[in-house]
This record gives sequence, C-alpha cells and structure tokens, in this order.
Amino acid sequence: MPVRQLPETVVNRIAAGEVVERPASVVKELVENAIDAGAARIDVFTDGGGKRRIGVTDDGAGMAKGDLALAVNRHATSKLEDEDLLRIHTLGFRGEALPSIGAVARLCITTRDAREPHAWSLTVEGGRKSAITPAALTQGTRVEVADLFYATPARLKFLKTDRTEAEAIREVVRRLAMARPDIGFTLAGEGRAPATWTAALPGAAGRLTRLGDILGGDFRSAAIAVRAERERVIVEGFAAAPSLTRANALGQYLFVNGRPVRDKLILGAVRAAYSDYLPRDRHPVVALFVTTDPQEVDANVHPAKTEVRFRNAGLVRALIVHALKEGLAREGRRTAANSDGAVLTAFRPATSPRPADWDWRRSPASPAGARPWMGGPPATAFAEAGQTAFDVGAPSADVRFDAHLPMDLIDRPLGAARTQIHETYIVSQTRDGLIVVDQHAAHERIVYERLKAALERDGVQRQILLIPDIIELDEATVEKLTDRATELKKFGLAIESFGPGAVAVRETPSLLGKTNAAALLRDLAEHMAEWDETLPLERRLMHVAATMACHGSVRAGRILKPEEMNALLREMEATPNSGQCNHGRPTYVELKLADIEKLFGRR
Amino acid sequence: MKVTVERAQLLKSLSHVHRVVERRNTIPILGNVLVRAETAKLSLKATDLDLEVTETLVAETGTGGSTTVPAHMFYDIVRKLPDGAQIVLEGDGDRSVLTIRAGRSRFTLQTLPENDFPDLAAGDMTHAFSLAAADLKRLIDRTQFAISTEETRYYLNGIYLHGAGSAKSATLRGVATDGHRLAQLDLALPKGAEGMPGVIIPRKTVGEVQRLIEDSEAEIGIELSQGKIRFTIGHVVLTSKLIDGTFPDYGRVIPQNNDKELVVDKKDFEAAVDRVSTISSERGRAVKLALSAGKLVLSVTNPDSGSATEELEVEYASDALDIGFNSRYLLDIAAQIEGEAAVLKLADPGSPTLVQDRDSKGALYVLMPMRV
Repeated sequence: MPVRQLPETVVNRIAAGEVVERPASVVKELVENAIDAGAARIDVFTDGGGKRRIGVTDDGAGMAKGDLALAVNRHATSKLEDEDLLRIHTLGFRGEALPSIGAVARLCITTRDAREPHAWSLTVEGGRKSAITPAALTQGTRVEVADLFYATPARLKFLKTDRTEAEAIREVVRRLAMARPDIGFTLAGEGRAPATWTAALPGAAGRLTRLGDILGGDFRSAAIAVRAERERVIVEGFAAAPSLTRANALGQYLFVNGRPVRDKLILGAVRAAYSDYLPRDRHPVVALFVTTDPQEVDANVHPAKTEVRFRNAGLVRALIVHALKEGLAREGRRTAANSDGAVLTAFRPATSPRPADWDWRRSPASPAGARPWMGGPPATAFAEAGQTAFDVGAPSADVRFDAHLPMDLIDRPLGAARTQIHETYIVSQTRDGLIVVDQHAAHERIVYERLKAALERDGVQRQILLIPDIIELDEATVEKLTDRATELKKFGLAIESFGPGAVAVRETPSLLGKTNAAALLRDLAEHMAEWDETLPLERRLMHVAATMACHGSVRAGRILKPEEMNALLREMEATPNSGQCNHGRPTYVELKLADIEKLFGRR
Repeated sequence: MKVTVERAQLLKSLSHVHRVVERRNTIPILGNVLVRAETAKLSLKATDLDLEVTETLVAETGTGGSTTVPAHMFYDIVRKLPDGAQIVLEGDGDRSVLTIRAGRSRFTLQTLPENDFPDLAAGDMTHAFSLAAADLKRLIDRTQFAISTEETRYYLNGIYLHGAGSAKSATLRGVATDGHRLAQLDLALPKGAEGMPGVIIPRKTVGEVQRLIEDSEAEIGIELSQGKIRFTIGHVVLTSKLIDGTFPDYGRVIPQNNDKELVVDKKDFEAAVDRVSTISSERGRAVKLALSAGKLVLSVTNPDSGSATEELEVEYASDALDIGFNSRYLLDIAAQIEGEAAVLKLADPGSPTLVQDRDSKGALYVLMPMRV
C-alpha cells in the first residue's frame, strides 16, 4: 500500500482521542476555558452522562468574531502569550480542546466580546465548520456539545453507563470548584437536583467553606489548616483530623497552581505524614494547594494535564509532609467527635420508662397467635433461672469529691476530673462543657509518645547476625537501598552491597526480635521504588512500640483516684497528638454546654 | 543517705509493701517506694493514694536520709541477690540516684524526690483498740466472700465494721453483702471500740490486711476515725481510706421467723452440691433442693446436657419444700462452716434462707434463693 498523508479530519479525530477521552474530559476542558476566560460564574448542564448533551455557560471575557473562527482551529489559542511553555499561568495552553471536540461531536459556540455589538455563533459538526452567524447572548460564552463521539462510534461503544459518566463529570466539576472557591458553580441535568456552589470569599475561610460544601460538613469541622513555605514553594490547605478517615485514598486532593492533579507524590507524602495516626487500611481526607513559580513545574506531561512534574519534587514532598505533621501536632488533641454532632445524636431524650415488671408478651406488640401459651413458665433453655436479691439500695456512682483538689483545673483545656464511670471512662468538667476520656486509649498514646521520643533519642539497638542474610535484588534497588544505608542504620538495620545484584544484611533491629530480614528488605525495596521512603521499617518499629505502649498503660477496668485522673488529663494536655490513640480512635469526646442545653430544649 | 541491711529482711519487707504499688500508673511517683534511713532502722513506704503500707526494719544506718525508687524493680533486684547478702543502699541526692551494692553487684536506680511522695495524712484517730490476729483473721475470712464487686453500689465494696448489740452482749460486727447473699460475724467488743463509728473497709485493704496477718500471732492494733483506718501488724503499719458511703440497713434482710429447720453434714452437703452442679451450665447454676422428712434431694437439670440427682440423709421434720439456690453460692457458704454441721432455716421458695454453724457461734449467713 502506498504511503498517504491522512486527511485533516482523520488527523483531528486521532488527536481528539488523546484530549477527549470521555464526556468528563470535555467538561474539564470547557470549564477550564471558562475559568481562563475570567468567569465569575460557570453553569454546567449535562444529559445522558454527557453523551447526549453538554452545555457550559460562563460570564467571562468572550471572543470577538475573528477569534471565534480561529478558536476551533487546531493549535490556536489565546493563552500562550510569548510562546513560552515554561511560563504558563492558565489552565489551558495547547489549543487542542475545541477542535478536538469539534472533530468528534456537534459543537456550537455562542460568544460575545464586550466590544462587539452582539454575540456570534459558530457550529462544528464532525470537523466541518459552519459559517459564523449573529446570535443572542449578553456576556461570556456558551458552549454546547451534542452527540459526543457520534463521529467515532468505536469510542462511543467503550464508554461506561450514563450514570458512571455522570459521576465522572461530577467529580471533575467538584475538583475544579475546590480549586476556585471565588467562582460560583452550578451543575445541573441528569435528572438530579442541580448542585450549586456559590462564590465564596477569597482566602482560607472561603476555601474552607467551599471544601466543606463539597467534601461534607464533617470535613469542615475536622479540618486543620496547614501551611508550609520554602524557596518560593507554598503548600497550604486543609487536612482532616485523623478521626475522619476513608477506606480509600480518593478523599485526597492536590492542586498545583490552581490545577487539579492526580499525583503519587501527594499520596506518598500524605501516607508518611499520617503513618503514626491511622491504621494501615484507613486513608485521611486532605485538600492541598501548592503554589509555585510556573517555571518550577511542567504541566505539559499529559494531554489531559492530570499529571505534573516538579523541578524539585523532593522539596515539594518534604514540604507537604512537614505541613501536615506540623498541623496534626498542633491540633493533635482535636477530635472530630465533638463537633460533628455524632455525640449529640447519640444522646436520646428519655422515653417514659417502662415499669420493672413490664412484659412485652402481655403488650399489644406480642404476636397474636402466640399469646395463649406465653402465659406459662419461660423456656428454661434460654432463660436463666432468676436469682432473687435483697433490697440493698439503689445503684449510685461513687461521686466522692475531693475538696483538696485545686478549683482552677476547670479552666484547663481538658478540665477537672469529676468521676470515673464503668472503671473505664473519666468524666471531666470544663468551663463550657464536659469531656469523656477513654483512660486506656489516652494513657496508651502518652506512653507511646514517650517510647517514640526515647527511640529517637537513643536510636535502635542492633542485633548482629551470625550469618549475614544475602538477599538478591535487582541492581537499581540495591543501589537505592545502599544509598540509604546510613538512614537505615539509624533504625537498626545495617546493610551493605554484596556484589551488583545483592545486599548483605549484617545487623537487624533487636526490637523486632527474630525477624525475616529478606521479607523486610523486599518490602522495603518495593516501597522505596514506589514512594522513595523507608516507611515499612519505621512502621514495623512503631508497631512494636505501640504494642509495648498498650501493655504499659492503665487498662480499662482499673479504678483511678481523682488525683490520678487529673494527672492523666494534664499529661494529655502536654502530649502531642493525644486526641487519638495509636489506632486513630479518639481518646476523648467533648460535649459543649450549648449542646447539652440543646438536648434539653433550652435553646 | 547510707544504710546497710540484711537481704532476707529487706526482701520480706519489700514483698509486703510493693504489692500495694500498681504496675501501671498515670502519676510516676506512685510507682515508687519511699526509702527512709533513720537511726538503726530503715523504713519503706508505698501507697496507691487510698492505701498506704509502711514497714520498719532493723538496719545499720551510716547517714540518715530518704529517697524514692521504682518499687517493682527494687523488689526484683533484692529478690535476685544471693541469700545472706548484706545490702548497702547509698543515696546521692545531687545526681538523684540510689546505689544498691551487695557483694560484687552494683545497681544504680533513678530516684524521684521524696517531697513529692504523697502522704495519706491520717489525721487524728478517734478510736483505738486491739484484736487478736486469729479473731481479725476469722472476721475477714468469714465475710470477705460476700463483698460485692459491683461498682454501681460502691458502698457494698467492703466489709462494714461496726459495734452492735448493747451493754453485756455488745459485739464488734463485720458484715458484707452483694445483694444475693450476706455474711455477718460477731466478735466480743474489744476495749476502746465502744461508740466507734460504723466504717466500710475497702476490698483491696481487706485483702492486704488478710495477707499481712497470715503468719502473725500477735495482737493487731486498730485505730480508726470517720474517714481512715490503721492496722498495726508487728513492724507493718497499714493505713487506708474508708469507703465514704452508707451501708444499707442489713438487719431488715436477716429473717427472724424462718420455722423450717434443716441440719446437714457440712462435708456431705458440700460434696453433693459440688457433684450435682457438674451438670449445670455456665448460664444457670441453679440447684434444686427438695426437702421431705429426714431426706434432702439435690437435683440439677440442664436442658443442654442432662440432669443429676443426689439424695442426702438430713435432720428435717417440717413440711415438704422445694427451693432453688445458685450452687456456687451454696459452696461458698458451705466453705465458711467451721464445725461439722450447718443449720439452714427456711421459710418458702421465695424468701431469704438463714445459714448458721451448728457448733460455732458468732457467724451467720443469709442466702437468697433462685426461682427454679
């Protein structure tokens, strides 16, 4: 077959496959255009999972008649001023979106530049442009895409159900809305009630409002503001306290210069920062915004721009870890349980108590047919024969109050211990509410932090192996491991390279006891290849420390004297992260006086 | 501080005091024992804030002084030192360490300042009397089993010690109950105990006193006030807070008019109850007592496994009666009988039963039946 130059429509359709993967990518491109046009309000409408119809309307700058004709040409853009790919301030710059969409769908653009007397409209169907006609629109641009992929039926077949595609669109709009709280968004169609996110104030408060609107009220109340800055890279945003977790990492959002990206960098960094607070299979919820000089980041990695490369990835990662750790340590005593109303809803107003001799079998709730034989003696197989008892008075808690205790304890953050209930929970009174502390969980955290500090101070003791363990790994991994040898030694693992494809383990952390060095090292190597960090080793050591802490702390069921309870509360105030036990459960819950008053209908 | 002491003596004293110390503490100094050297003696003191034990032993004191060291570690060190060793304790206040030397062994323990060591501040004791060790032991042994462990009725978590009766028949009485059974023991009222307030001695204190008087023959000194009690047992002084509550009016639950009298041989009865209860499940431990003239039939039916019956010859002359009891409670009470026979006074299957020792006076037990 002779070599032929492909016609332009085919070229466009091939190229379109990269940019326009599914309806959600159309929405992403169009909304990004709207944002770049300086819109203050963007309305998105979709139907049939975006396959039937997508409409994006903004109140941005709009285009003049001449620009409109150019805009649908390949590689035509208004966004790259001096043709410098290193200085990109806009979300788009490739000039591919509109022609790509035009190549595979019926595209209709109506736009009005303020300088034009009226709006202009242009349609592109399967790559064929129509003439530009006058149209009606007050300001901005309205882009309508109908019958997406009608020109490429193969792609259409590979799309998922309408529902799934609609969900993907929703996620795209959510992400962009999180990135730009100053813009109002609405998302309508698909037979659902439209979602509206009104424009919020600029700054952290507005950002938190928007994040709360999108991620839910429990995120807003659990959110801890984080921020770190170094070498003109700023990491800021909000991280949920460890009491709010998800079963997957989908609740983690990273934005680089306002662009939502999916990046392993953030996943790894977030894991590292939270490793001490969460069990392995739980994931925190965070939204982080990285601001940096556009020259420091390359967004031109992927046509859909979901990935970016940093010139100094290590710095960004370190900043994220630092910002999160600092925020978590600062707000370590916070728990989500006190503010999201979970505590409140757990309380129920008392219903009128039933008399002690109440028997459901004699009540109207009893099944009618069953009644006749119910009057007889209860079946002995299930019912314990009743032990009768003396009347020795009503139950009452030991509420002795020691008058020697200083009264000003009530002003401390965790208040003054009042009593212990069920030999497990300390009830403490604060100036504006009450606190219930799980004594074991709280003491466990304190002992754990002490052990951790000791480990950091004194290092980990190393057990020398009689016969060094030789572990064969690929060359790159060996190099990676030996590069980190000094760091690993700090954690008690002494390794050295043993020829090109193997490492020798000479010493292991004695804390781990008899450990399978080969398994540990492979685990470590795999993790390092993926995340470039030595977390598995630290995690194992901390797991041992956590077990030691569990055994070394006061148990549930131990009666604590008032002095001991207060000592525990004071220690909690002084210990970082004392709001969660090592497993991420809260160590205490707080009930505000206002909440109590609400329960009793006083407010 | 520098003091030399014999290992066996130190070990014995430490074994007494270190038990008071909890293994895990939220206040570090509560894990420590106070060591104080005075002229020719060494005293050791440990506390859990409710209970404080002090023991004094003979020692060769170079320079006096005091400090506090981790109790369990100190005990373990002394325990592992060779028998017959002379132990030298030397405190260095500036470095806040205590050095323990014996033979060629040398230990240095971190100390905490003695000023921080809590003091129970016993205050003035209003009443003081003494009891023979055997009497106090009997009072504890006969009542301890009935102490409630239920924290919601905290005032039942101890032995209620008080004066009862009047004039010539005045007694010192210990009572304990958990709502299902009650144990009461009377001793002759010792001199000095007249007019004493009724006090509730906490369970942990009862246990510690019981251990301390195990091999003691001497008189035990007891001092008490409204809020505290102190036992002096040889060289050991145990001071404890009392349970601050009102013990229920237990007299109401002791039956006075139970007319059906049953006399059983203690050993036979105990063994028979133990045998038939083998069948009972974890859930229900009921054993049925079927009484007729001169005969007692014990039976247990467990729908999951089977049944057991045993017949006993007894002294019984009243009307036939069926009554159920928790087998564990029956065994507990049978174990308290010091003589050969127990007397059970019954009324009906729903009322409390009175149990007494036929041959030994002073003790009485009340047991609530089970509905079977």
